[in-house]
Amino acid sequence: MDKAIEIQNLTKIYPNGRGIREISLDIYPGDIFGFLGPNGAGKTTVMKIMTGLVRPQRGDVKIMGHSVLDDYEKAMAQVGCLIETAESYPFLSAGDNLRQWARYYPGVAEQRIDEVLELVGLLPYKQEKPKRFSLGMKQRLGLAAAILSRPRVVILDEPLNGLDVEGMIDMRKLIQRLAEQEQTTFFISSHLIHDVELTCTRVGIIFDGKLLSIARTEDVLRDYASLENYFVSEVESNGRVPGNISQ
Amino acid sequence: MDAFRATFRNEIIKLYKKKKAIAAVIISLLVIVAGQLLISGVRYGLGIRGAGSADFPILILSAVINTILPLFTALVAIDSFSGEYAQNSMRVTLTRPVSRIKLFSAKLAAIAAFILAMLLLLLVFSLLAGFIFNDHSATAASVSRTVIAYLISLPPLMGLAAGIVLLANALKNGISVFFLAVLLFIALKMLALFFPHYTALFLTSQLDWYNLFLIDQWPLARILRQILLMTGWGAMLFIVGFYLFDKKEF
Repeated sequence: MDKAIEIQNLTKIYPNGRGIREISLDIYPGDIFGFLGPNGAGKTTVMKIMTGLVRPQRGDVKIMGHSVLDDYEKAMAQVGCLIETAESYPFLSAGDNLRQWARYYPGVAEQRIDEVLELVGLLPYKQEKPKRFSLGMKQRLGLAAAILSRPRVVILDEPLNGLDVEGMIDMRKLIQRLAEQEQTTFFISSHLIHDVELTCTRVGIIFDGKLLSIARTEDVLRDYASLENYFVSEVESNGRVPGNISQ
Repeated sequence: MDAFRATFRNEIIKLYKKKKAIAAVIISLLVIVAGQLLISGVRYGLGIRGAGSADFPILILSAVINTILPLFTALVAIDSFSGEYAQNSMRVTLTRPVSRIKLFSAKLAAIAAFILAMLLLLLVFSLLAGFIFNDHSATAASVSRTVIAYLISLPPLMGLAAGIVLLANALKNGISVFFLAVLLFIALKMLALFFPHYTALFLTSQLDWYNLFLIDQWPLARILRQILLMTGWGAMLFIVGFYLFDKKEF
């Protein structure tokens, strides 16, 4: 089976000694992959390398077979992402912001902009500037931008930040629908472990810059009462033993 | 090329939607009005001709080329890089399917388009003011020399923009970039006064090279030397600026 995302021996150490070491991971089309780890474990670093915002010292990431280091435009043509915080141009309206990003993709017309704004519940605010938006609304706009081009791979770093309960439920349904109907692959990091349990089909645990384990969510839930129990167990048993990586 | 075109179009739209661009247009028009009032005041108050319709646009160019044009160039260049770093909005563009070289080049091309638009605006309105309010001394040759003087002012201003973009990628803060750029500009102007033999080498002195095109017989050797010097400066500043931009992590 072709891989949607192929992460090979990714290493990036910051001057303070933190970072990620030898991360290798394969994600398949239609997967909703949950990337779990405590604060500072290296989740965002991996996602930033995947989207070209940071360069690794070693290793590579291939998206739909295209390396983000050697063939960036082709790799990113298939990707929608939201990294850390949903940023937009405060002096442009929500619609104008989406128009800015739409120009990079052939075939993304005004109708699609309305469609994604409707999907995230922002259509009534299309003419408003994001500087007047709440955190949740900014996050929704970021998500609209991420799915605007109907990408085959969506990378979301803490996508539920700032969303209310209704927003979280809507987002979960949207992710599951896109994965099932359009075979969109999701790579999601979240500290909301319960939501990962409900949304993701596979999970990976990263701790102290090292990938500890990867498993199918249904297998985890067969052996553990909850994903939280599995997470704690993995971190406790493997976290302090370097090099013990199970896939 | 599509990614370059998309980025260029986005940058132009952002410039258009920002208040800075409108402020630049208004201030440029005010300079023409102030210049015309000054000339009219001199003419009617002191009885001196001041400037004819042919001289007025060149008078305006000599006033703006070392003042408001470098200032607006700096503001737009800093906003395009430091401004977007500060707002984190650069990240949004970087995660689109556009390589960093195309993004960097398109941003510089948009700055060039802005400077060219400012030059054309000043040219058209100063020509109009010259024709309406001043003695009719203009000939076809003098008007074409004026047009050339305005158009060839673009390359040295772009050299300046490339230098400011380099600073914007070397320093973290937009305000630091602005003040350092102003200090360097003044320092180079002072150096040109103290070392007149080396004036041609300085980026800031090249802003006045339009004077070479106002002479009936163009000094081709000097023009060629200036073109080579400007190309050299431009290439160096572009390459170092891009190197810093490419190495940046977000």
